[in-house]
Amino acid sequence: MGLTDLVALLSSDAAIQIIASIVKILIIVVLCLQIPPVMVWAERRAPAMMQRRKGPNRVGIGKFRLYGLLQSAADAVKLIFKEEVVPTGANKVVYHIAPIFSVFTAFLVACAIPYGNDITVFGQQISLSPIRLDVGFLFILAMSSLAVYGVTLAGWASNNKYSLLGSLRASAQMISYEIPLGMSLIPLVIIFGTLDLNKMVIAQSAFPWSWGVVRAPISFFLFFICMFAETNRSPFDLAEGESELVAGFHTEYNSAKFAAFFLSEYVAMFVLSALAATVFFGGWQVPFVPYDLLLKIAFGLDWLAALVGFLFLLLKAGFFMWVYVWVRWTLPRFRYDQLMALGWKFMLPIGLFNLLITALVVAIFDTVTRH
Amino acid sequence: MNPYLPVLIVLLLGVGLGGILSGLAHFAGPRKPNRIKSEPYECGVPIVGERDKMSVKFYLTAILFILFDIETVFLYLWAMTFRELGWFGIGEIVVFLAVLFAGYVYVVKRGALEWD
Amino acid sequence: MSQELLFYSFAGLIALCSVMVVTSRNPVISAIFLVGDLFLLAGLYASMEAHFIAAIQILVYAGAIVVLFMFVIMLLNLDPDQRSQVQIAAPEVGVLALTVIAFAVVGGMLVFGQPTGVSGEMTAEAINSAGGNTFTVGMVLYTKYLWPFELASMLIMLAIIASIVIAKKDRPKSATEGDKRRLAHG
Repeated sequence: MGLTDLVALLSSDAAIQIIASIVKILIIVVLCLQIPPVMVWAERRAPAMMQRRKGPNRVGIGKFRLYGLLQSAADAVKLIFKEEVVPTGANKVVYHIAPIFSVFTAFLVACAIPYGNDITVFGQQISLSPIRLDVGFLFILAMSSLAVYGVTLAGWASNNKYSLLGSLRASAQMISYEIPLGMSLIPLVIIFGTLDLNKMVIAQSAFPWSWGVVRAPISFFLFFICMFAETNRSPFDLAEGESELVAGFHTEYNSAKFAAFFLSEYVAMFVLSALAATVFFGGWQVPFVPYDLLLKIAFGLDWLAALVGFLFLLLKAGFFMWVYVWVRWTLPRFRYDQLMALGWKFMLPIGLFNLLITALVVAIFDTVTRH
Repeated sequence: MNPYLPVLIVLLLGVGLGGILSGLAHFAGPRKPNRIKSEPYECGVPIVGERDKMSVKFYLTAILFILFDIETVFLYLWAMTFRELGWFGIGEIVVFLAVLFAGYVYVVKRGALEWD
Repeated sequence: MSQELLFYSFAGLIALCSVMVVTSRNPVISAIFLVGDLFLLAGLYASMEAHFIAAIQILVYAGAIVVLFMFVIMLLNLDPDQRSQVQIAAPEVGVLALTVIAFAVVGGMLVFGQPTGVSGEMTAEAINSAGGNTFTVGMVLYTKYLWPFELASMLIMLAIIASIVIAKKDRPKSATEGDKRRLAHG
């Protein structure tokens, strides 16, 4: 292949798409890496605020203390340079694989969220969700169903009773709530007639009264509960239950491997928050400003409009991240039998009826408007 | 461009990142293992008993999960084609769900969801 | 050309993973390779533009059925020394059988399955223009294959009942009744 061929290849449509997709992926991965430090800081400052104490506020550069935000950076450095202690009797291979499983599933899911409307670069239409497939959000559900393995393998490989019990609890909980999670999204497929998340966002428009949360409130209610159960967060944090199981499945994990679990946990929280924002709260739509108008305000530059939309999506997702923290320091923990009963006996039938009712309403509405 | 190419890129990146974190744990820190330090953690007291065998409840949960998961797969397809099928589709899915709901009622009646 | 290359690379990796599933001494390692196997199988489906089946392959097989396997492995939790007692009686027979099957499959493919290069009316382009893979699969399932679909619900219900019958042992109606009976006898 000659040099001219290479130049032609690089400026071809396919090459632009590939370069764009690599750039998109890198941006999202870097974004995801910023989530744990900020959230750790929030999870220390928020309870401090609620309990009328100061929380971490010392770490800083010289006189600039930045409200203790650098505590997270110090933590990251500490975690990386700590000694790794592998428990005796642990299955070495599986012990090292488990965190990798958690990390890659978290990133795969994070890349399937639409972070903005399609933009045009060099005459090429580029979608702002790095992974966009025919199956739409089924990809998110499929990949997050693989996240169970990180938990299960970690618990099994550690050769520790707390770890094993914690991982069994966590995985049983995650699979139990996967069903209502999936069911809560079906009414939205009925209403919007698509599995593609970006099309759902466009169909919701910029006005809050046509957002998913208004059209399918019960779905949002179910999804909201599942958000906490799927990530093993309080009030469903029985898998960790630090007062009974020390730390659950990652009891025997320390140093950078613990950081890996930490990272994937927070990325999973972010993804569910972003999904809630996308499906129920208009995603990247700026409230009350339709996309056409936004485009006009942004001097007709679609990338600028997309950036504004991206910030609004982060704002909406950030709200749900805050709710995670808020709930953690407000509600007490469920009992395990209550947790299972809630999932199987309450959420599942409600999910089914919600689905049928939505279908009936939409069908009646369609029949009426057609005549 | 093949839509699955980004999936492959993210997969490799994720595995790479996880591997780097896993590897950092191995190489960046000090390594001074001793017998007491490497014992499985049980709150500091000497370890008692063997590895536990787990309750059969978890197994039952997993089986029921598979079955209801398959059910939701059918529901996704149905929801996608809902506008085309209309009332006919609703009829189909009501029959489908009625049969499954009978199974669900049996599960509840037999107390299989009771966690004791 | 690239389609064939994808097929052979996926097929080779799947075969490799499958061999690892069978030969691993540790059941958990086997399960991990099985997940890899199913993941690659999804990749194979995706390379044939069967997007929906690819997603469901991961959602149901890798995300649900192997989880059940994992639970069973953890439930039994065999010790390493217990595990090593399981010995294959005659490995030569197995190898011979595998070779015969492999030759039979390859031979059968060569005799009966020559690719003709002729494509049917349901090409990937036709499906895409008809509203996407998922939509088309749904339409076919809910019109042409209506009865098999309804029968599937019966099948799932039977499976639910069967799993309960197997896994749930009948116990006295309630603790108090059981206590009463015990009191009456003792």
